Amino acid sequence: MSSKTTIYGFLFVGLAVTLALIVAPAVYAVSLSFYQMDSFVGAPKWVGFANYAAVLQAPEFWRALVNGAIYALGSIVFQVILGIGFALVLNEVFPGRNLVRGLSILPYLLPTVVVILTFKWMVDGGIGIVTKAVEAMGLPPINWFESPGAAMASTILVSVWMWTPFVTTCFLAALQTVPQSLYEAARVDGTTAVQRFFHITLPMLKPILTVVVLLRAIWMFNKFDVIWLLTRGGPVGATENLAILSYRHAFNLFDIGGGAAIATISFALLSVAVLVYFWVFPLEDD
Amino acid sequence: MGRAKTLPRRLGLYIAALVIAIYSAFPIYWMVVSSLREPTELLTNVSLIPNVLSLESYRNLLELTDYPRHFLNSVIVAVVAVLVTMVFSVMIAYAVTRQRIRGKKVIVGAMLYAYMFPPLLIAIPIFTIFARLGLGDTLTGLIASHLTLTLPLGVWFLWGFFKSMPFELEEAAMVDGCTRLGAFLRVVLPLALPGLITVAIFSFLLSWTDYTFALVMIGSDANKTLPVGLASMVGSFDLRWGEIMAGSTLIALPLFAAFALMSQYFIQGLGAGAVKG
Repeated sequence: MSSKTTIYGFLFVGLAVTLALIVAPAVYAVSLSFYQMDSFVGAPKWVGFANYAAVLQAPEFWRALVNGAIYALGSIVFQVILGIGFALVLNEVFPGRNLVRGLSILPYLLPTVVVILTFKWMVDGGIGIVTKAVEAMGLPPINWFESPGAAMASTILVSVWMWTPFVTTCFLAALQTVPQSLYEAARVDGTTAVQRFFHITLPMLKPILTVVVLLRAIWMFNKFDVIWLLTRGGPVGATENLAILSYRHAFNLFDIGGGAAIATISFALLSVAVLVYFWVFPLEDD
Repeated sequence: MGRAKTLPRRLGLYIAALVIAIYSAFPIYWMVVSSLREPTELLTNVSLIPNVLSLESYRNLLELTDYPRHFLNSVIVAVVAVLVTMVFSVMIAYAVTRQRIRGKKVIVGAMLYAYMFPPLLIAIPIFTIFARLGLGDTLTGLIASHLTLTLPLGVWFLWGFFKSMPFELEEAAMVDGCTRLGAFLRVVLPLALPGLITVAIFSFLLSWTDYTFALVMIGSDANKTLPVGLASMVGSFDLRWGEIMAGSTLIALPLFAAFALMSQYFIQGLGAGAVKG
């Protein structure tokens, strides 16, 4: 077998797999959004842009868009602040540092379902540890899911706990690349720790910060499992984002075209974000 | 940033580290402790350390529920997904780094783009396709949907890995009479082993923890994987928290064990931004 045959063989397999598993489903999803389909095995009927018109006219679409933005923004802000804070602490030298570093990653390894169930158990109205602790402190009981605001805050809280380790790890790696000489020079100049953070650390972290915020923004905007397991999008749609709405259309209401249309719209919105990403970090050619 | 000099600063640092440790680990500790309590004690006692350790919740979980079956399904799905991901991603990543050809941008671009796909953009068409093929509600369909998560990860990570690997190594092997395939198998693959391990770990993590695709693709109780099976226990089991926490602990255990044994690969993968989550 010649050198070229092997490489082209690999490439052919690669193209076939990419087309079958990534490109074809996405194209099929977009095409489904132009059909009316009431069952997954029934015959689709071409309806043009009717699904999009119906979806965009429904107030729940706009509510889901706003909810998704609030959820993504809220969870990213806290993830990034906590992540930077944790990374700064874990970058210092103290006994047991490796243990704390290890522990700080654990939430990220847990399956979403485990995190949600444990959270529900901890805040259980009767015997949850958090409920008992709140009671012991003489505070009024917290309603985690009843009001729209509380339900949103709970989903954000859980999401921040789960994905802060991602931010911490990225920043910790980046902090180790900041040359120590910069800090020493600044210290000689009599700067305070706060000044050094804002004038040395933060500017040096800026590239990784951009990547992390963009990636996290995309993933939080797409988030389905946390919200579905925690609130099912409720109460009365207060935590429903586009992913939940799309799922409900396709799998609860059997409006498959509508579900596909919502997925396509979120995809289009995210493509804008992806374009920004590639514009900031161009794909190298070699 | 070096060693904190003054006492108050050092004290502040220790407290901050302690807070991080408790914040990160307490819910996990509580999950494990709750799973080991006597089920009767569970509903009356919130002491931080249980009076008696008991495996009753685990016994109930394994004997009275479909948990073992779901565990087996999860293992099958994750293992097949990991193996397929490793084989294809190493081929694709190698081909796109070693040859200047047209198709490669399509592959790398599509794989990177797939990172940003809304889950339902994949779930709806894959479910439709498999339902029409008569393969709805099968582990095969679920594995295919997991590959849409794990393959981009594998290609993306190994692409970076192969790019940093000098061409001279396999060229030297080829000068010595190895074929390209021989050089790939004998020189490139062994050197790529750390990268492959990272890909395997994170593919396993994605497949093992997936709830969304399993919810969509699987309908019958017999074919459920752990995350969906466990989630459905909450509704049907009139909140047997002991069993639910035991089930949660058993899902998390393989991941923690892998992390304890191979933490450097985890850090490396996370640092490379390899994981969607």
